[in-house]
This record gives sequence, C-alpha cells and structure tokens, in this order.
Amino acid sequence: MTAAVPLDAFLADLERLRADAERTLAGAADAAAVEAARVEFLGARSGRLKAIQKALGGLAVADKPAGGRHFNDVKTAIGALLATAQERLGAPGHDVLSAIDVTLPGTPVLRGHLHPITRTIRRVQEIMGRLGFESVDGPEVEDQWHNFEALAISPEHPARDPLDNFYLAVARGADPLLLRSQTSTVQIRVMENREPPLRIVSLGRVYRPDTADATHYPMFHQVEGLLVEPGTTMAHLKSVLRLFASSFLGGDVRVRFRPSFFPFTEPSVEVDMEWGGRWVEMGGAGMVDPAVLEAVGYDPDVVSGFAFGLGVERIAARRHGVDDIRDFYRNDVRFLRQF
Amino acid sequence: MIISTNWLADYVQLPGTVDDLVERLLMSGLNHEATWAVGGDTAVEIEVTSNRPDCLGHIGVAREAAVLYGRPLHVPDPRPLEAGGEAARSVTVVIEAGDVCPFYTARVIRGVRVGPSPAWLVDRLATVGIASVNNVVDVTNYVMLESGQPLHAFDLAKIRGGRIVVRRAVEGEPFTAINHKTYTLSERMAVIADGERPVALAGVMGGADTEIGPETTDVLLESAQFAPLPVRAAARGLALASASSYRFERGPDPAMVDWASRRAAAMILELAGGTLDRGAVAAGVLACAPATIPLVASRVSDVLGVEVPASRQADILTQLGFVEEPGSPDRIRRYRAPSWRRDCWREIDLVEEIARIEGYDRVPEDAVIAARPVELSAREVTLRRAGEVLVGAGLCEAMTRSVVTEASAATPSPWGEADPLVIAPALVRGADRLRRSLLPSLLEARAGNVAAGIDDADLFEIARGYLARRETSAAGPVEEPLLASFVVGGEFARAKGLVDAVLGGLGVAGGTSRLEWRPLDLSPLARGRAAEVRLVRSGHAPARIAVVGEVAAAELGRLGLRGPVSAAELRLDALEFAAALERPLVKPSDFPAVDRDINVVVDASVPWGDVEAAIHAAAGELLDTCRLVQVWEDAERLGAGRKSFVVALTLRSAAGTLSGEEAGRVVDAVVAECGRRVGATLRG
Repeated sequence: MTAAVPLDAFLADLERLRADAERTLAGAADAAAVEAARVEFLGARSGRLKAIQKALGGLAVADKPAGGRHFNDVKTAIGALLATAQERLGAPGHDVLSAIDVTLPGTPVLRGHLHPITRTIRRVQEIMGRLGFESVDGPEVEDQWHNFEALAISPEHPARDPLDNFYLAVARGADPLLLRSQTSTVQIRVMENREPPLRIVSLGRVYRPDTADATHYPMFHQVEGLLVEPGTTMAHLKSVLRLFASSFLGGDVRVRFRPSFFPFTEPSVEVDMEWGGRWVEMGGAGMVDPAVLEAVGYDPDVVSGFAFGLGVERIAARRHGVDDIRDFYRNDVRFLRQF
Repeated sequence: MIISTNWLADYVQLPGTVDDLVERLLMSGLNHEATWAVGGDTAVEIEVTSNRPDCLGHIGVAREAAVLYGRPLHVPDPRPLEAGGEAARSVTVVIEAGDVCPFYTARVIRGVRVGPSPAWLVDRLATVGIASVNNVVDVTNYVMLESGQPLHAFDLAKIRGGRIVVRRAVEGEPFTAINHKTYTLSERMAVIADGERPVALAGVMGGADTEIGPETTDVLLESAQFAPLPVRAAARGLALASASSYRFERGPDPAMVDWASRRAAAMILELAGGTLDRGAVAAGVLACAPATIPLVASRVSDVLGVEVPASRQADILTQLGFVEEPGSPDRIRRYRAPSWRRDCWREIDLVEEIARIEGYDRVPEDAVIAARPVELSAREVTLRRAGEVLVGAGLCEAMTRSVVTEASAATPSPWGEADPLVIAPALVRGADRLRRSLLPSLLEARAGNVAAGIDDADLFEIARGYLARRETSAAGPVEEPLLASFVVGGEFARAKGLVDAVLGGLGVAGGTSRLEWRPLDLSPLARGRAAEVRLVRSGHAPARIAVVGEVAAAELGRLGLRGPVSAAELRLDALEFAAALERPLVKPSDFPAVDRDINVVVDASVPWGDVEAAIHAAAGELLDTCRLVQVWEDAERLGAGRKSFVVALTLRSAAGTLSGEEAGRVVDAVVAECGRRVGATLRG
C-alpha cells in the first residue's frame, strides 16, 4: 500500500492550477488560445484537472471531504474563467452557437383597448374621486319631473319641445317618458333619496336630436358634478374646477367664468380653462338654483350647492386630437387600438 | 344676434375699441361669436341666452354697454304726428284667443309712397345681414332690431272688412306666407285673420296676400304680444323660424309694444310720407307685471364667496334699470325689476346681476374643500372588472348606438320578449327602437371593420339594454339591464372561455352560488352551438345571467362576416351583488401533488358537466385541479354511441403528503361515482 497523498501538497497543486488557468485565460489573445487553454486545463482525457482528480483518490479518507470541496471549487472557478474568456473573445461557446436573430418578431400578444370615451370618463371620475365626489348613475329613460320639472325647466321652455327630445311611445300613465337629455336627472334622484352633505358625479349617455356632424352627435356622454353642503359658495365651485383642471390638464391651470344661463343653476356660468395658451370652453356650471333645492325637499336657507357639467366627447376629442366626434362611434379598430 | 357698432353708437358713446367692447360683453354674459367689417361699419355677432330677450335689440345691448362703461344711455322718444282721422273708425281688432295673444295694437298710415330705403338704412340692415326690401318693410325690420319687438306691416287695402281677428288656426287650414310657400296649419298655432281668411301666422310671418308692395298706399302696422308656445309650435312644426318667432319665443319687453309702434310710424312718415291716423287700435291687456324683489346685502357674499359693498350692489342694479323702492331698510333693500327683465323676480336673480357686472374674476379660486371618503359603487366595481378582463383578453371596447333600426331591434333578446320601445324622432335616420340586446350592434360593428379590410375586430361593449315591463310596476314601464357583450372570432370554446374569465373576475361563483350551463336555442346564435348560463344562488330563483354561442351561418352571411364568429352577452346588473362579497383566502398547500390520469368512457349523450360534477363530488377536498385533456369518439375501439373523456386529475392534501395508496383510493371513488351517476366505465 502506497502512502496517502498529503493534503497540503494536493491543495497546493490545485491552487497552482487555478493560478495558471487564471493567467493563461486572461492572457489568451484569440479564440484558438482559449481553446488550447480549455484542452490544457479541462481536457477530458489529458487535462491537468483530470490529473489532479486522480490524485484526489489518493488522499487519506479523513482528508477526502476537504480535498473534494476544494477540487470542486477550483473546477467551477476555471469553468467560469473559460466562459468569461470565450465571451470576451466571441469564441464559439455553447450559448453563442445558438444565438438568435433578435429582430425576429416576438410571440404576438393581442392587447385590448378601452374606448377613449371610457378612458376620459375614468380620468374625470378618478380626479373627482380624490376631491371626494362619488360616481353615481341612474336611468336613461326618464320622466318629466326628473328631466325637466325638478330642474326648474318650465313647460314653456324650448328645451321641452317634442322636436328637441326623444320621447317614448309609451308613457307612465299620463306622464310622457323620454331619453334623458342631461345627466342632471341623476342628481335629482340622488338628492331626493339622500340628505346633504353630498358630493357626486353623475355620468353616462344623454340624447338630444342634433343632426350628426363633426361636432354633434344625437347620443353623447356627460359628466356632471354636484356638491351640496352648508356654506357652499361660488369660490368653492371655482376652486374645485381649478383643482380639476390642473389635475386633468397638468400644471397650474387657470379657470375663467363667463356669465351664462341654465334653468337649474343661478348664477350660471360657462367655464373656460386655459389649454395650450388659449381659453377653451369646458362646460357649464353654477350654484344650484334654490328652486331645485326646494324641489328635492332641501331648505335653500340652510344648504347651498354648486353643479357643473362637462361634455365628454368634446374633452376627449380635444385631448386626443380627434377632429370628428363621429369617429368615436364608428368602432373602427384601427382607431380604437390607438388608445 | 348681429349688432352694428355704428348703430349702437346712436344710444351710447363708447370710449374703447370694438375688441374692448366685445371682451366686456363676453365677460358679462353676451358671448362673442365673430366680428367682421361691413363697409364703414363693424358687425359683431353675439350669442344671447334665452333668458335675455332684451338683448335681441340694439337698445338692450347698448344698455349693457352703458352699464359696463358707466356711460349714459340715450333712447329716443318718438312722438309721430297723428294728422289723420280716428284709426278705430276704419279698423277693428278682436282677440278671440287671449291665451295666444294677450295684447294687440294696430296703427294706420295712409298715402305712403312705397319705394327704396335711404342708403343709411340699407347700410345698417346690410351690416346685420338683412337685405333691403322697401322703405316700409325695412322700417319694421329696423325697429325690431332696435327694440327687440317684432312688427308687421299689412297692406290695409287687402285686409278684407277692415277687421283684424286673432284666433287659433283651424286644424288643416291653409296659409300662404310671404315666402310664397303654402303651409297647412294646426290648432296649436295662432293666426291673424281678416274678415275672411288668415293674413299672418301670428308672431312668425305675414301672408303673401297682404304684403306691402309698390302699389300699397295704406299701411296697417301691427305691434303685439304673442305667447311663446303657439309661436314655437308654428315655427318648429312648419320649419318656418323667423327673427320674429325667435323673439316671441323668448318674450320681448312689454313696454316696447307701444314704443316700437310709435317709432316705426314716425320712421314711415319720414321715409315714405303719408298721414298717421289718430290713436292705436288696441285689444286685450298688456301683460306687464315687473316683480318687486327684496335683497339682503349679505346674500351676495353668501353666494359668491366675495364681498361686494352694499352701495356698489345698489349702483349696479340701478344702472341696469332696477328701481329701488323708497323707504327700504339698509339691510334689506327692495327693487322693482325693469319691464325688460322679466327673468329677474327672486333675490338670487339680483345676486346674479351683481355678480356678472362686478365680474366673476373677483371670485377666489383657493377656497378650502374638506376631504371626504369615497367608495366605488357595486355597479362601478362590476363594470370595471368586466372591462378589465375583456381588455386583458385582447378585446377592444366599442360604443354603439342605444337606438337601432326596426330590423336590428327585431333580433330576439336574451332578456325579454316584449316588443322594443319606440322613440320619436328617430336618433339617426331609420333608428327609432331602443335596443334590447347589444349583440346586433356589435355584429354590425364587426361587419363594418370587415368592410374596411380588418378581419380580426374582436369587440366588446358595456351599456344598457331597454326592456318594456309587461305590467306597470312601481319601478316604471322600462327596465334598463346593464349588459356586457362581445363578438369575437373563433368557436364556442373561445367565447365560453371569455365568459368564464369575466364571471371568474367578478367572483360570482363559489360559496353558496354556482353556475349552470345549458343548451340554448336563440337567434342569432347557431342552434346546437349556444348556451345560457344560469346563476344558482341560495335564497334566489335560478336566473339567466349570460348567453354564449357561435353566430348562426345565416346571420354571418347577411352581414358579410366570415366564420367562425362567437358572441356572448352578460347581465352585469344581476352580478353586482358579487362586488360586495368577501371571499375567504384559501392557503395554498405546502405538500406535493399527485397526478393521476383517467380515461372514462360514457354514452355519447352524457355532457362533460355531469362527469365533472361526479369527479368533484367523489374527490372532495383532495381534488386540486381536474382538467379535461381530450374527448374522443371511436366506434371501433369504444363501441358505437360511446365517447371517452381523458381527464388529468391533480390530487393534493392540505394536511400531509398523499401516499400512492391514498391517491388510488380517490381515483377509485371517482371512477365509482362516475359509474353510478353517468354509467361511466374506466378504459385501459
């Protein structure tokens, strides 16, 4: 029986091998030199590592675990050195051999798209939500009370003309029904069922008999905000709209009020926002008319409120550069896929 | 309303430029449309809101400008010489319908020479876009545009019987207007008649028979009040809107009825000569009752959020023509509204007047709004989740019209058999039915894309349907289900997968609710390739919540679509309950799974759902997943009328590692239950 290989000598050989491999591979100037180094150190038949592996078998039993651990460490290290050198020199290593044409198409993933009108509504909802306004919805087929009377629109008002509304052939008793011409109807319904304080945005489809053209469509979307709390003034209205405009358009956006007329608000104003260096009309607003507060059973001496309405198509068109609002309803996927 | 700046200068001297005037009017309520030059004059088009008929005349606009610039307003006081006989001797006026005409006056001018108008008059009318006709007609137009009070001049010689009768039109009565078109009137409209026939459509347009022409010598000048509704009925019903009807629909200043008559008479005498008969022949009572309105000074800041001193409040109102009642206490002042401001009758109306003249730029924009909690409603949560799933699956959201054609509406609805509701007028040509399902619209939208060369338009929409309720319920005669629908390329399985994903996303099934798929026969879905999904929920009757299927070949052919195309519609309003459900979390097991494949052979008529139910029942909690790998039929190897389901079962316990024996017992139990329930046998 031959004497066992001393562990010290074995470890020293390993370290020498590691140092030689490091030096050789770091100094390899081309792929051929790297390949020669690979054969010298890792060659399956006569590589130097193979030779040391034989010596591993000659270690004393007690030394074998430590010797084996070191052997594996060095083997791994030399493998890594080789890979680094191959990568550095672009040598035909394993990974590089199967390199792919990265300009080939990826596996297609069909992305869906929300409609730009929905995206605009969501954005308004989100901003108003941060300001404490809750989104509400109500019926599209409405009665005279909710679409007109409670909103202080008298029977003589031109807005009630049969030719200016879509009336249904059916009625509720003697009360004619119509497709709502504004989402303020929802505000009436909420106020009838809840007590102030109240902050809501009502949104959805509304209908008016306009001939369809680039800026009109007989079906469109409105977002209307309503706040009813004691002590509310036009300063609150202006402040909320300024916060809205700044969030929606970005930056510190100024808001301008111009006097206007709506039956359900008094005072009534048109709201302009500064957009792209110009005043752009965004919608109508005003303080809730005392007659409306009375119609829903509130006391106008105790609470006051404001309301505002925005035309969704108009905002969406401007935001996305759509010059014909009929495009929103053509449902051409080449249009829809851009949002 | 188009104004001439030269004309405006007759009533008020303005120091600024036209642009400055336009800006001030804009910021006080008269919206600017356009400005353009006409000869030596400038035309400014303004938008007048329906509450401000006073600004449908130059004097009214001049009054606004005078207040904005703090300048005096000069309104002429015409006193034409009445050198003729008593007007009432030759003309009688009778109002038969006081509800359509409260007050009517007629003046008579004899011996006029009808001819061209002088250049200044032609020019002024040209600036505001009105062509000159002759001196008499031009004067009536001029005075209307000055005062806002419409006038009409008749050729008195053609008024039969010297009699003016204001009455409702007789249903079907013909009338030829000065545009020489003949209209058929309804009793909702009012006419001016002479002794025999209508000579004018009240408040809208005069008649061809009695118009002023070169041969006219004697003129009957009408200045009257007409109620808005009959005027609108005629203007809208006959598509015959005029400058006159536009003003009467809004209500001119009552004080202008007599003023305009005197003014026009004076101008006709001056420009066409003739002699004015003495007095105006009047009938009815002038409706003019200006309100007296109290104003608490502090009310202004309560509404506006900014102080306006009481003295400034009083100045603004006084300049606008409001008259402060004497003896008002300082805290509460009382104002009588001017005749031309019938829109002002409440305290809030006075606040608005003060605000618009003071300027809204004074209203602060940094008021503090207290934070408030906000929750998304169950409806919002539901429709957003459904949309997210469908967008995630690659579909595009469409928006189609709520109102469809009769043919489109005739497609059966999954949600009710009552006929579609009809509206008038049509939304767009031919579309006058409220839809009961979104599917026909989405199929048409897909077809529209195909026509544009796009074959893969997978579309969804979330919108209402409209269903007539059979009996008049407390909720009203119309039900509006919230529907989510889609139309996609592919076979039934694709649509089913999408429906499963939406229902899964909403968390509808589980706990005490489950879904039930059943075959369905409903056009436009293909027979044998369609299903309904029912929600079975404890405490509720089972209800249809979705329909799914391949679109029938005939429908595809009609629309020019290439199949297979599948579609589905879900009733989201019936699924909103799930938004509030809290599903308890199931902790994933840490123990390894055991996979077992089984191949069960059943009669060809047995649906997979029955086999699946048997597997679930038998395997119980140890069943991790159950995946159908393959279905095949092979008469030779399985026997005629038989089919085989290859099922991959994954078994796993939450309590420990399953042994091979335990797994085997589960599989045995599954096979036994399948045998018991659907006569299944294990193959190979």
